[in-house]
Amino acid sequence: MPFDSETASLAVPPTIEVQDLWLRYRSSQEATLKRTLVGMTQRRKVTRYVEALRGVSFTVQRGSVCGVIGRNGAGKSTLFRTICGILTPSEGRVVVRGHVTPLFSLGIGFNRELTGRENVLLGGLAMGLAPEEVQEQYQAIVAFAELADAIDYPMRTYSSGMSARLGFAVAVHLDPEIVLIDEALAAGDARFKKKSSDKISELCERDCTVMIITHGVRIISSLADRCLWLDKGRVMAEGPAPDVVDAYLRFEGVLDEATAAEDM
Amino acid sequence: MAEPSSSPTVHVYEPTDTGLPPLHRYLREIWGRRAFMWHLSRSELKAQHYDTVIGQAWIVLDPLLEAAVYYLLRTVVRPIGTDAERNALLAHLIMAVFFFGYTRASLMGGTKAILSNRNTVLNSSLPRLVFPLVAVIEAFLDFLPTFVVYMGLHVLLGQPITAALLWLPLILVLLTMFNLGLALLASTVTVFFRDASDILPYATRIWLYVSPVLFTVSEVPPNIAPYLKLNPMYWFLGSLELIFTGHGPTAKGLFMMTVFAVAVFGLGAFYFLRRERDLAVRL
Ligand SMILES: Nc1ncnc2c1ncn2[C@@H]1O[C@H](COP(=O)(O)OP(=O)(O)O)[C@@H](O)[C@H]1O
Ligand SMILES: [Mg+2]
Repeated sequence: MPFDSETASLAVPPTIEVQDLWLRYRSSQEATLKRTLVGMTQRRKVTRYVEALRGVSFTVQRGSVCGVIGRNGAGKSTLFRTICGILTPSEGRVVVRGHVTPLFSLGIGFNRELTGRENVLLGGLAMGLAPEEVQEQYQAIVAFAELADAIDYPMRTYSSGMSARLGFAVAVHLDPEIVLIDEALAAGDARFKKKSSDKISELCERDCTVMIITHGVRIISSLADRCLWLDKGRVMAEGPAPDVVDAYLRFEGVLDEATAAEDM
Repeated sequence: MAEPSSSPTVHVYEPTDTGLPPLHRYLREIWGRRAFMWHLSRSELKAQHYDTVIGQAWIVLDPLLEAAVYYLLRTVVRPIGTDAERNALLAHLIMAVFFFGYTRASLMGGTKAILSNRNTVLNSSLPRLVFPLVAVIEAFLDFLPTFVVYMGLHVLLGQPITAALLWLPLILVLLTMFNLGLALLASTVTVFFRDASDILPYATRIWLYVSPVLFTVSEVPPNIAPYLKLNPMYWFLGSLELIFTGHGPTAKGLFMMTVFAVAVFGLGAFYFLRRERDLAVRL
């Protein structure tokens, strides 16, 4: 690539690069031995495919926040799972430069029988950190989550908001490079939402790249640099956050913006 | 174009319907998760056994009671003459039930490894192999106390302590490899056939009856021996029986254990890694 001083910033490769990504789920009945035996005699195929992503392309630059919006079932979670390497593309290509820390709405919680404290340790170790590295950040994580005594109770006793707090606290304290947040903040209370959006801004100053799925369009307008709007597996728009949010709300006919902005 | 030094890891995800993941990188990923696997197994066992004395004792008491039932069965069917013979039979039954239990627990743990971690599999990018590995680590940690108790009973029942016991670590390594292969196979098969775990309790029961648990290898009539020898547990339990009665394992026994360990582990690992990227879309 010839060096051009005007486009020098473009010469830095994007952190996340998605090129013509297609993803098909196999959606058949739950496979069992019994059904397979019956199926062999009946010669009937029950496999159907769901095209969750149909030719999605976009890039995300280092140190930026990219919001992702769209209806339920638009393919947002599927996109995140593909960027994490959990799902393999059916077609297309995903290039990720850096280590991804996923944070899904189901939260951490490797074992809900275990206490929050044990799950924090497991969450850090699962990210490939050494026990000492997790231990160093341990106090900060617990303090940020503000769970008080509940930190020593089994996670099955937590409300979804409490699990979300803990998951977020773990993900942001262990020096992440790329964070994907899938509706993980939705369950938090107002105070926690404020706190977590401050934390996200802080992460970006440290060159961390963030992608966030949320139905709360207000937070996207204020926090995100750019926004990606998915519908039925296709990109409807990608660009500066306020413009895309605007287009999305107009398209959905949600003129009363207050309703849409309520949740994060 | 060279990557800037600030981004050391580059992941490229592309359609791959054939082949294995790059093994070198995969093994490094697993190795990087060793602390995770260790802590997960430890804390899951702690949660299971409720960290109580009764819970701990049950790990040993349960197989001991099973061995006691088999002992009653055996002595009712054909009363045994001398005390020495009775002690030898009891020691054999306890040994065989404990070691068979390790294999059975690995297999059962394997069937649940992926299915019961559905959320984690769908929401984290951990190499999936850690789940069946954790199942085998848990089976091993549950096996350890039973092994210690067996060694105590071994002495109490007046069984010989000889240099032949030095073969034990090697046999344990081969058995663990075999168990891991079983767990890998079981964890994949149950995702594709959800009812496979329903027939497992019956299958393991039959497997126990055709393994040298209720009988010793030396008691096997020659006319059925060729069939029993198709069973990997014939070789594992047979070799253990030899070293616990003061004999070295046979060369053929060592060979067959190695063949079964390598074959089952290789098959399990290959099948698992081939199917691994398919698992998430089928959960
Ligand atoms: N495991 C699955 N098997 C089959 N279809 C799925 C699976 N997960 C999601 N889908 C389908 O893929 C589409 C996109 O889902 P998802 O990515 O979860 O949407 P969103 O997160 O935007 O609400 C939906 O139509 C959904 O039904
Ligand atoms: Mg979703």
